[in-house]
Amino acid sequence: MDPIHTEIVVLGAGPGGYAAAFYAADLGKKVLLVEREKKLGGVCLTRGCIPSKALLHASTMIREARESAHRGITFGPPQINLDALRSWKNGIVEKLSSGVNFLAKKRGVEVLHGRGYFEGSQSLRVETADGQRLVTYDKAVIAVGSKPALPKVFDLGNPRIMTSTEALDVEDIPEDLLVVGGGYIGMELGSVYANLGSKVVVVEALPGILSGADPDLIRPVLQNAQKNFRELRFNTTVTQMSTKGKKIRVLTVGPDKAEKDELFDRVLVSVGRVPRFDDLGLENTKVEQDERGFIKVNDKMETADPALLAVGDIAGGVLLAHKASKEARIAVETIVGEPSTSAGVIIPAVVFTDPELAWCGVSEAEARAKGMEIDVAKFSWGASGRALTFDRTDGLTKLVVDLATERVIGVGMVGHGAGELIAEGVVAIEMGATVRDLAETVHPHPTLSETIMEAAEVYYGVSTHAFSPKKREE
Amino acid sequence: MDLKLPPLGEGIDSGSVVGILVREDDQITRGQGVIELETGKAIAPVPSSASGKVTKILVSIGDKISVGQAILSLESSASASVKPPSPPAAVSAPRPNRPAAAPPPPQPEEDPEAATWVHDDPADDSPVPAASPTIRRLARELGIDLRRIHGSESGGRLVMDDLRAYIQRLQRLAAHVRTAGPSAAPSQPPQPSVDFSKWGPVTKRPMSTLRKAIATHLSESWHTAPRVTQFDEADITALDQIRKNHAAAFEKKGVRLTLTSFALKIIADALGRHPVFNTSLDEAANDVIYKEYFHIGLAVDSEQGLIVPVLRDVNKKDIMALSKEMNDIAARTRERKISLEEMQGGTFTITNQGGIGGSHFTPIINRPETAILGLGRGALKAVVREGKILPRLMLPLALSYDHRVIDGGAAVRFMLDLVKGFENFDEKTLVQLEN
Repeated sequence: MDPIHTEIVVLGAGPGGYAAAFYAADLGKKVLLVEREKKLGGVCLTRGCIPSKALLHASTMIREARESAHRGITFGPPQINLDALRSWKNGIVEKLSSGVNFLAKKRGVEVLHGRGYFEGSQSLRVETADGQRLVTYDKAVIAVGSKPALPKVFDLGNPRIMTSTEALDVEDIPEDLLVVGGGYIGMELGSVYANLGSKVVVVEALPGILSGADPDLIRPVLQNAQKNFRELRFNTTVTQMSTKGKKIRVLTVGPDKAEKDELFDRVLVSVGRVPRFDDLGLENTKVEQDERGFIKVNDKMETADPALLAVGDIAGGVLLAHKASKEARIAVETIVGEPSTSAGVIIPAVVFTDPELAWCGVSEAEARAKGMEIDVAKFSWGASGRALTFDRTDGLTKLVVDLATERVIGVGMVGHGAGELIAEGVVAIEMGATVRDLAETVHPHPTLSETIMEAAEVYYGVSTHAFSPKKREE
Repeated sequence: MDLKLPPLGEGIDSGSVVGILVREDDQITRGQGVIELETGKAIAPVPSSASGKVTKILVSIGDKISVGQAILSLESSASASVKPPSPPAAVSAPRPNRPAAAPPPPQPEEDPEAATWVHDDPADDSPVPAASPTIRRLARELGIDLRRIHGSESGGRLVMDDLRAYIQRLQRLAAHVRTAGPSAAPSQPPQPSVDFSKWGPVTKRPMSTLRKAIATHLSESWHTAPRVTQFDEADITALDQIRKNHAAAFEKKGVRLTLTSFALKIIADALGRHPVFNTSLDEAANDVIYKEYFHIGLAVDSEQGLIVPVLRDVNKKDIMALSKEMNDIAARTRERKISLEEMQGGTFTITNQGGIGGSHFTPIINRPETAILGLGRGALKAVVREGKILPRLMLPLALSYDHRVIDGGAAVRFMLDLVKGFENFDEKTLVQLEN
């Protein structure tokens, strides 16, 4: 077949790749989008953010029904039809993925399904179902993403040892589930299975869950997990795993050096994600990678190869879909010659645990570690009327404030729906808002958004619903 | 790594390379001088911010270089610090006001507000002020460094009006430079060149950087400060005797006791009683800044031209210390080994022509100070004392002051106080120093 020539090739159709392809097409470029899988949308859409949130929503209902008993409303025990649950979840994925397809067509973005392999800086060989196609181009955006890490000790070829990908298929509800790794994936999917009825044990090598977030924000998540999970063990590592009949035998070593020997029905390995750089032919380009394999980029998303840019997980940093989408826009702007930069861009983080955890900008721990001149204002959701109305006062909103300018430089939240609230914090930081700006802005009652305003009022010691003796001059 | 020209201090962003102090392959240490730079006020060595081996020298003698420009390439030794040069704190901190030292950039008269929101030389690592994503994007597109603009909103937040005002100011400056030329006095276009050779032979010598700086600085003072010069004479017959009584004892300690030593002490005392002579005018803010320190500048006649080093905290030092410091600083100034810092921060200036000769003259105020005292040569004059004509040694004094800040009455009172200081100097203070 004839080689294809195009202006821009985007490799990978996740939230980084399709955002780059669409934006480039919107700016009048001829774009080819290459995706190795049948479905467009990448990890986020097909086996990450979207399906996990669908399962969390569905399974949380079970727990919430149970918890409504003290409000005088009781339900019978849940009837769980896993096939129906799975097909409902798959339906959402299908709908979104075909939506991406539709949007690509509308924009005239050509989609080529097949594995891409760089033969040089400006030529890509794509192995499609119909044979090999050679693609030449002016610029390529690499957006191939990441995949779950599966260390050798866990890689027994046993389907009962799952990564997040398999866990999202919910083949059955294991009676005993071991989650290896207390990061956000382990905590989110652990919750799904706990809600469905599994007895969940989480082991984490570090001293706590969700490393990177401030301890006061983690506390409510941990307390709730201790209630919903059978057990959480910290400073604990898995030393050996083997198949024993229909079960998995797992040896762990805890902080007291004591070894435990247990049987689980399934194991979820969620020990992080690694860049998907193998079999890409990067060695035929001038791209440079760091020691973990992530592609090195500058603030314009340019790699060491002048023809190649990289965005999203493969470019390292925080592995989040919205970071990939922002980088996609920066990359395309760089390609069309606009001055663009990732410097100073605030990337929020949300963990969909129960309760949700969200933060953006500078965290309190980071500010203290760097010796920055800051102050912190906190508002506990115990004082929020809205939180009381749905029985979830286990929340906290806090602002990190630069003392010299009184600008809000960080916002952290934990609590039901915190993920939906954090965007106000991002806007505040991006706009250079001061604490007073937030305190003076009317927030609707009764909503959780008031906690942001009240935290700002706490800063001045004048919160309506929290008493704080701290007073500040205007 | 490249060693770059660090921020040099108040209002100075470039200079001419007049000497190169290292050679390629030299091993240098942090703090060692690498080049000599002539700026508006002096020749000063530029210290290295790191240790290592010089691999390449990137400037040559005569080059005009700017802050941030690479001077030489350095191969860092493993143990050496490879941190970027850390500029003096006073320079790296955002400064809401235009620095008050010479030579200032040309400022159009119609733009007095400029000073309140423009930062001259943002350091590389200074933070970008808070601004919305829209403004940051626009600034990138226009190639504008937002760190040069002072945000007017609370928290230092920079809004569209700040950016717009900055761009308008740039336009006005550009228009001004087109009409007036960059080196001209603030409000006057340069006079057209005249061919003097048609009347006889001439030699053309280009103005040195120092000469240009003197010209700009003094023109600026001439055009901004409405100056009055107050004349008087002090009877220094007794003071001269005191000087002679003690010169030998000072000499033994290697210190030359001059009239200027006494003058410094007398002026510092009088400034304490007349604080308005120790001020600056902040034209942008309409504030008179009273300084609670007494740093007195000393106009030194060097081969290259006028240079004014500054003696710090004159009020806190005795005549022995002042004389010693003055001898040293004057010698170093003549050799042009004086650092930029030593020429900054003056609050009042003395210009003593007496060593050469001369009587009364009309000094120009060393802006942003508001007053300057000129001393002539003491001369024996016939003076009437209690009805008798006596020969007395009389010192001509000429006090120029900025009439916007200082009134005539205050000037006379200050002058009388100075005269009294010269005429009634207490010899006992010297006796204590010698013991």
